[in-house]
Amino acid sequence: MGFAEEIVYLVSTYGVSLFNAMLLTLEITSIGFTLGVLLGLPISLGRVYGPLPLKALLAAYIELIRGTPMIVQLFFIYYALPLVGIKLDAFTASIIAIGLNSAAYQAEYFRMAFGAVPREQWEAALSIGLSKWSTITNVIIPQGVRIAIPALTNELIYLLKYSSIAYFVTVPETVYVSKVIGAKTLLHIQIYTITAVFYILVAVVLTKSAKKLEERVSIPGLVVKGRI
Amino acid sequence: MGSDKLLFIEDLHKYYGKHHVLKGVNLAVNEGESVVIIGPSGSGKSTLLRCINLLVKPDKGRIVFDNEEITTGKIDVRRVREKIGFVFQHFNLFLHLTAIENVMLGLIKVKNYPREKARRIAEEALLSVGITEELWNKYPAQLSGGQQQRVAIARAIAMEPKLLLFDEPTSALDPELIGEVLKVMEKLANEGRTMIVVTHEIGFALKAADRVVFFDDGKIIEEGSPEQVILNPKTERARRFLFSIRELYRLE
Repeated sequence: MGFAEEIVYLVSTYGVSLFNAMLLTLEITSIGFTLGVLLGLPISLGRVYGPLPLKALLAAYIELIRGTPMIVQLFFIYYALPLVGIKLDAFTASIIAIGLNSAAYQAEYFRMAFGAVPREQWEAALSIGLSKWSTITNVIIPQGVRIAIPALTNELIYLLKYSSIAYFVTVPETVYVSKVIGAKTLLHIQIYTITAVFYILVAVVLTKSAKKLEERVSIPGLVVKGRI
Repeated sequence: MGSDKLLFIEDLHKYYGKHHVLKGVNLAVNEGESVVIIGPSGSGKSTLLRCINLLVKPDKGRIVFDNEEITTGKIDVRRVREKIGFVFQHFNLFLHLTAIENVMLGLIKVKNYPREKARRIAEEALLSVGITEELWNKYPAQLSGGQQQRVAIARAIAMEPKLLLFDEPTSALDPELIGEVLKVMEKLANEGRTMIVVTHEIGFALKAADRVVFFDDGKIIEEGSPEQVILNPKTERARRFLFSIRELYRLE
């Protein structure tokens, strides 16, 4: 059999389990990312605009997450939490680990984006009598989120690939299933080629969709058209 | 202090670090009066305006606005700002909102008007500054500087403020767009609105101001009628400054 035939063989024999594994990868990535947005946005708001103790607490959280490997965070959630009575299945533990990790990074992306909203926008909002909170929700967040889109796209693609750490706690996601198939058939290079193509395709689709989204929500007249 | 005084500033001081920006400003503005403040850049004029609507907190002195001291800690800052319209040098329109949404935001979020009512008021305000319907749904970046500044004025007057502050409203404009903004401001002054305008436009001051204040180095140096301060200043500093501005105008 040639390389191409071997790939066809793998797809026709293990197509269903590969497909399910890829679905699982997409699930872990999307739920983890969403969790990251839902936590990251409030974390960044608290870190920038909250009272001092909250700022310090959130800064510490971000340092803790950024300072430790994601795999250690996952092991902690999967193996250490049961010691205090919190027992999670591997899939849930992976999503939580990825979500908590991504929240810290996303909080930083949002923080940078909010910082990039011109100071004058604050002055204008306060000058018509808006409160600080109302300024944040009506002026700073709508403008900041637009600025954050490219960084968040980056984060999403990063998570797509790093969702494979779920492999270490036996979630049958793409890398895990590929490894099993590789061991069974000894067609390692072939199976990982399929895996790599899958990741690349998804990443390209995500990049293109993010670009579309960015264009759709761009403020008319404000964005320089025709840039790459 | 008489009850016709809308604004009363007494011995106002402001420091930025060691830099003494305002060095004891005293100023009273009557209801319906339009006051023009002129003076060199960096003399503290903008800081003075920002102190009045509490965007900047003064370090010493008193400001009484609408019969209420606003320089005490107990004051509701938002209620004061709601009553004071501010027009910025760089317009500062909300970049993500259309012209009409810029005007409506404060009406909906601060005055809690229903959308329909806010929209009606916004339309009226925009028309009064000459922004016609085809521009209402444009974003700031799609408007000329003069149009942006007129939308900014509409945003300020839609809130029905008791006092309007203009911080060099034409300094960032192309020369050919200055006229349309000054015309709107003249109209506002003629309508009897109380306003304080920081500007170098002495033509506007002569036409529309009730009083001109010459400001230098954190203090008011001279004040009086527009004719007297602009055409016949008493102090040497004002004479020198106004002479150079008048020279510039003659050249143009």
